[in-house]
Amino acid sequence: MAAITLDSVTKRFGEGGDAILAVDDVSLDIKDGEFVVFVGPSGSGKSTLMRIVAGLETQSEGDVYIGDTLVNQFGPRARDIAMVFQNYALYPNMTVEENMSFGLKMSTELSTSEIKTNVTETAEMMGIGDLLDNKPGELSGGQQQRVALGRAIVRDPNVFLMDEPLSNLDAKLRTTMRTEINRLQNDLDVTTLYVTHDQTEAMTMGDRLVVLDHGELQQVGTPVDCFYRPVNQFVAGFIGSPSMNFFNGHMENTTLRADGFDYELTTRMQSSVGDTDEVVLGARPEDIVLRDDPNVDYEFEAVVDVVEPMGSIAYVYLRPKAQEIDQTFVVETDGRRPITEDEYIKVKIPDKDVHLFDGETGRTIHQRELDSEGQVAVSEQR
Amino acid sequence: MATADTEPGSSQRFEKGTRETLVTVARHAVLLTWSFLVLFPLYWLASMSLKPSGQANSLPPDWIFLPTVYNYLQLVQSSDFVTAFANSLLMVGASVVLVLLIGVPAAYVLSRYDIPKERDVLVWILSSRMLPPIAVVLPFFIIFQEFNLFDSKIGMVLMYVSINLSLVVWVMKAFFDGIPETLEEAARVDGATRFQGFLKIILPAAKPGIFSVAIISFIFAWIELLFGLVLTSFNAVPVTLFVYSFIGSRSIEWSMLAAASTAMIIPVAIFLIAVNKYLAAGLSFGVVIKE
Repeated sequence: MAAITLDSVTKRFGEGGDAILAVDDVSLDIKDGEFVVFVGPSGSGKSTLMRIVAGLETQSEGDVYIGDTLVNQFGPRARDIAMVFQNYALYPNMTVEENMSFGLKMSTELSTSEIKTNVTETAEMMGIGDLLDNKPGELSGGQQQRVALGRAIVRDPNVFLMDEPLSNLDAKLRTTMRTEINRLQNDLDVTTLYVTHDQTEAMTMGDRLVVLDHGELQQVGTPVDCFYRPVNQFVAGFIGSPSMNFFNGHMENTTLRADGFDYELTTRMQSSVGDTDEVVLGARPEDIVLRDDPNVDYEFEAVVDVVEPMGSIAYVYLRPKAQEIDQTFVVETDGRRPITEDEYIKVKIPDKDVHLFDGETGRTIHQRELDSEGQVAVSEQR
Repeated sequence: MATADTEPGSSQRFEKGTRETLVTVARHAVLLTWSFLVLFPLYWLASMSLKPSGQANSLPPDWIFLPTVYNYLQLVQSSDFVTAFANSLLMVGASVVLVLLIGVPAAYVLSRYDIPKERDVLVWILSSRMLPPIAVVLPFFIIFQEFNLFDSKIGMVLMYVSINLSLVVWVMKAFFDGIPETLEEAARVDGATRFQGFLKIILPAAKPGIFSVAIISFIFAWIELLFGLVLTSFNAVPVTLFVYSFIGSRSIEWSMLAAASTAMIIPVAIFLIAVNKYLAAGLSFGVVIKE
């Protein structure tokens, strides 16, 4: 078990002018036993960063420590890590038992019988005890996934690295395995780095999220933190599903003129905005309120584009009536609420739920208000 | 009415059955024809080898004859044949081992590492096979003279390696390209060195490919005639040359030619049967999901 420290890690692929910057000056402290999720869209550098920790890639600049040891010069075999790959990477010519024994044979002095005991115990724990004599090719995707996890667990390593381990499973199995990995990590208490592009996995699994984009660290924080207190527009849009709605606009005195409606800033917002001219208003689908009664003084009128019923809730895609460019925003409503396409509806964006971002830099200039529960959630997890 | 209702259904079923039968018959007819085309020359050769020399080439052929092993006895008793056969087995076998030892690691490196001008290297390796052999036999002759390789077994082994190396490198590179790199990475994370990963994980996974190129290399070298003709005289004569010697300037010893040719098939057949399991495994990898 070990902490991991990244100090100004940069990775370039290629040389000179053609070099691609995959990881850009990332510094990070990961505590012993912590479950940290690297999340970001493809090309964000999250996998590269994990591979640098694994020793499968060498950083161009910066230092990597596992525990107190500087491991820059160490290959993967000297780092005492175990990794689960997206395609499982089970050794095709070996049985499940041989797959699970391989690492112990290679990296420890254990005797054959000790290895056998360890492997059998872990296999029982993972529910693959009766598959030990099978070749990977004879197993289902879910079973292969369990073998891959078992192969990592039996090593009893300092650090687990998981590179999108669930992305090849079907939706139902993915949910099950997500819970299972969570439980395993709690039980084993081994420092775990987990790479995913799936914000649901990120939200549900990690103690902390590391949000990356274009190789740059965007935000490091608990899932709740990243959700309620995004540092910029990218994090706000990436965390949460469906994504936060963004309305581009510019300031005229105390009014934000967006495409299709005007929004009057509160005094607190006005002081946050200062003399910023281009401002983006952000509001989450679950916070925006819809009202059928046209007499109520709601902020603006919109037309319903598409309705996606999800059961208890429904996602309604709308366009502001007076809008010029064709762009929809999404609102979560009660699934039982009768609502039809092409219907006109009044929309209110509650002041307390509004985020404001600098239109040029994307930096957050105003965070939503949190009720007391929200404040507790954010501060407790911090 | 009831019968009228059921009839169309049953007749359709009948028609479907008929069509299936027709497809089966057609398929068998094609396969039988093809088998005949492949097997008849073999039968012709084998039957000729079992006939006395006078009868071997008679037209119309004697379909019914008393088989004799006389030709084979002649062959086995001829020390020239035994020497040539043993020579060829040794030289071809050694060349297959050598070409795999050189070609497989080369293919692996070309597949996995960033080699500058990789494409050019590959084309250069292939260029040895771009000319008709007759065009390169003269330079080979001169080189062999210069390096004292003329009529030597080592020379013949090297010549066979040069014939097969491009095949091994190209096929095995494609094969390694198909094996995900995460397998080696998993092995390295598991504590293996790069070389151990290659040896313990990748080579076993590449077995079907290795045996495929091995058998093809064996056959190409085993049936090679032209270079043997030019580059040997006495010590390193391959079995093909011995077979060729039955074609004289004035007459052809048909039964002996047939017996020697039939005998040449035996090592190839044994090799094929031995590695059949791996060839059947083919190029399929059920295990690894491609990214």
